[in-house]
Amino acid sequence: MLDVQLTKRRRDFTVSFSLRLGAAQSVGLFGASGAGKSTVLACIAGVEQPDDGRIDLGSTRIFPPPLPLHRRPVGYLTQEPSLFPHLSVRENVTFGVPKSEAADPERAKWIATLKERLKLAPLWDAPASRISGGQARRVALARMLARKPPLVLLDEPFAGLDRQLVRELIDDLIFWSKSIGFSMIAVDHQSEVLMRLCPEMAIVLEQGKVVQSGTWSELCSAPATPLLRSLLARL
Amino acid sequence: MIASRRWITRLGAAAFALALLYPLSAIFAHVGAWQWNEEVRGPALASVRVSLLLTTLAMLIVVGIGTPMAAYIAQCKAKERLLWQAALLIPILLPPLALGILFTLAFGPFGSVGRLLNHWGVVMTNSATAFVATQVYVGMGYYVLGAVAALDAVPSMLQKQAALLGLTPVKVFFRVTLPLARLGLAVALSIAWVRAVGEFGAVVVTAYYPSGMPVQLWVDLQSFGLPAVMPLLVIFLAVALPLPWLAHVLAQRRSNA
Repeated sequence: MLDVQLTKRRRDFTVSFSLRLGAAQSVGLFGASGAGKSTVLACIAGVEQPDDGRIDLGSTRIFPPPLPLHRRPVGYLTQEPSLFPHLSVRENVTFGVPKSEAADPERAKWIATLKERLKLAPLWDAPASRISGGQARRVALARMLARKPPLVLLDEPFAGLDRQLVRELIDDLIFWSKSIGFSMIAVDHQSEVLMRLCPEMAIVLEQGKVVQSGTWSELCSAPATPLLRSLLARL
Repeated sequence: MIASRRWITRLGAAAFALALLYPLSAIFAHVGAWQWNEEVRGPALASVRVSLLLTTLAMLIVVGIGTPMAAYIAQCKAKERLLWQAALLIPILLPPLALGILFTLAFGPFGSVGRLLNHWGVVMTNSATAFVATQVYVGMGYYVLGAVAALDAVPSMLQKQAALLGLTPVKVFFRVTLPLARLGLAVALSIAWVRAVGEFGAVVVTAYYPSGMPVQLWVDLQSFGLPAVMPLLVIFLAVALPLPWLAHVLAQRRSNA
């Protein structure tokens, strides 16, 4: 169970956000660009620090005090894949797997599944610096999932990928979320991607404030603000 | 028209580069038969040994202390970082002779630290220790400032991702930061090496003995003239130039890629 209450002062406004999310549940953060969605993910991941609030993941207190990044049981995927360019694709994918688990047959089977489902076999030994942007995104996704984190944060991870691949990746993520049991918080500027990835619940942010939350059908039938109405009207 | 203009510019650049490299041609200057008799050879080879061994030792100290310092400065906020950088600039900007005199006064028998060191049997004038310490002082600022720039060039998001994948800060440094910054660190070290191995002004005051190559060149020039200097000068250039040059060329190639 993830329990978040945070405020983060930004130059233009203050982001205030709260959320309770159960295991294997997913929620999509929706809103116009610059609404504070990525700030929320960055604060939960720990790459930014909230100014106030509390973040608990199960029995682990993440904030305050800020839990060091290496102890956070969180997978964080951003638009920028941030692969380690000096390592091969294989080394990137297995980067976060502890040495003690490297020889574990279960772990090896999981890595092999990721390799197959994310179509990484042809690039497996290639240097990460030599692969395309779309391939890099798939490698970054595999690297994040290789550790089986209980919470996955996705900040527009499919930007620039073709529709068919996005659909496949979303189906895989949903399947793995249910089978492994990780929760997901996703941000995407494309509402159709977000609806597919997080069909259960959405939270709408405007100027750092939650203006509406609920199911997608609730949002679509009675949007709380004119901006949300216009964003959803594009569907 | 554009092509010919380009060639004129290129010729201009070539003339500029030739002017810069011109002093190197003096190796072939007519100074008479080079002198390499026992009187010159013995001290010259000893100075090569002193320079190589003691400068290597100094560089090990520079890297050992300077790298963690650079790693610390690289993650400091702007104000604190400026403070450290300002401090590191002082030994770089001090005229070498002034540095040598100050160093001798501070660490020699006149300074309180010097007296203490002397009490423990550490002689800080005209000794191998003085030689190494002077080179550390001379090279440290160059290395640390260069290393900070190299570490800065590593995207912080890569380090954060590595941490989020479960690596402790030390492991992040060794598995991500260091490999990605290694060429920049090599360039920083090469600058420190060239600066230290070629140091004359400070070393001639603090450690006339044991003589390194620059001091020996000076001694040979004073005692025997140019023909006696030339062989050691060639060795000096061969020792000081190729490795740093290669590190810089590789770094330039990477930044141009």
